[in-house]
Amino acid sequence: MALSFLAFGSRTTTGLLWLTVINLALLLVFRYGFIFLRREIKVFLWQTAIIVSLYMLRFGWIDGFKQGAMISWQLSLAYMPGVIFIKTTPQPRIVETFSAVAPYRAAFVMATCFKFIPLILTEIRNIYEGQVFRGAKILRRDLLNPCNWPDLVFCLALPVIIRSMNLAGEITLAAKARNFGFKKKRTCWPGI
Amino acid sequence: MNRISLKESLFLGFCAVFILLSRAALRLHLGISGHVMFSMMFFLLIARGCVPRFFAATITGLFAGVAAMALGMGKGGPLLLIKFVLPALVVDICAMTLPFMFQSYLLCAFVAATAASTKFIDTYVMDRLVSMNPDIILQHAFLEAAPAVFFGVAGSLFVPPVIRRLKSYGVI
Repeated sequence: MALSFLAFGSRTTTGLLWLTVINLALLLVFRYGFIFLRREIKVFLWQTAIIVSLYMLRFGWIDGFKQGAMISWQLSLAYMPGVIFIKTTPQPRIVETFSAVAPYRAAFVMATCFKFIPLILTEIRNIYEGQVFRGAKILRRDLLNPCNWPDLVFCLALPVIIRSMNLAGEITLAAKARNFGFKKKRTCWPGI
Repeated sequence: MNRISLKESLFLGFCAVFILLSRAALRLHLGISGHVMFSMMFFLLIARGCVPRFFAATITGLFAGVAAMALGMGKGGPLLLIKFVLPALVVDICAMTLPFMFQSYLLCAFVAATAASTKFIDTYVMDRLVSMNPDIILQHAFLEAAPAVFFGVAGSLFVPPVIRRLKSYGVI
């Protein structure tokens, strides 16, 4: 957070250079590899291209390039600490922090949804394969044509929505059978 | 009863999961800015259409934002929450003022355009914070928001038929 604010406030090349060095050092400390850096550089380049071209249109080639590149650099440094925070903080820690401030039901829903992601993915895959065999035009090459997008919605999204509603009903039944919500204070089965 | 039931909250959670799954899937194959708004608007509107409670879409947006943070998706760190919650809040407010919007293509498109245009606010605030030139801030925010609005409207156009089918199947 502090690094992001420093990036917002920094107006000199020296300041931005220092912040870049600190961010790269953080990446090295947390051992984030070339793939992560490559993806960030891709986002940075795309953003730079837009901002620099807008500045060049407004202030001319040389001045526009200098100012645009500077702003884009600053913007990337403002984003970078947030990305590093997300990548380096363990997932359970973020959910734990959320659970501490959220009501017990929200924490339960959050945890359940995370837990059921693999099952949902399996369901999606099964429905997808079934619909492809039925002739739905939802193969990757078919989806390049926007005319086939309704097939994706009606043959895949709709059954998945219905299945997720049923799944939500089943989980609710199971939770209620275990007296979920009986006590307002959060409880858990002993030994877990 | 105004309180959201456990089944409804779980469904909203699943909608949040769908937003993230489609976001992850689209991110791998398309390089167009704002295309994730297609699935985001679709599932936010579906969430609000299936669970007619105030804050249903906002809860979905909040879940999706926290989950995106937990899974390390997208750029912006904690700002990701704003990116998800702001359009969801717009959907909720519009659904409250226009209760019949899920039956109309035009109203759904209007709500999606309004909600997707919150990307303009995100970009504007970020650019403002780095002291970008005011003229360029507007142009940049517009360039970011325009595709988002386009894809958001495209996603919203599938909502009325889907809601209608869900009603006819007796699911909602």
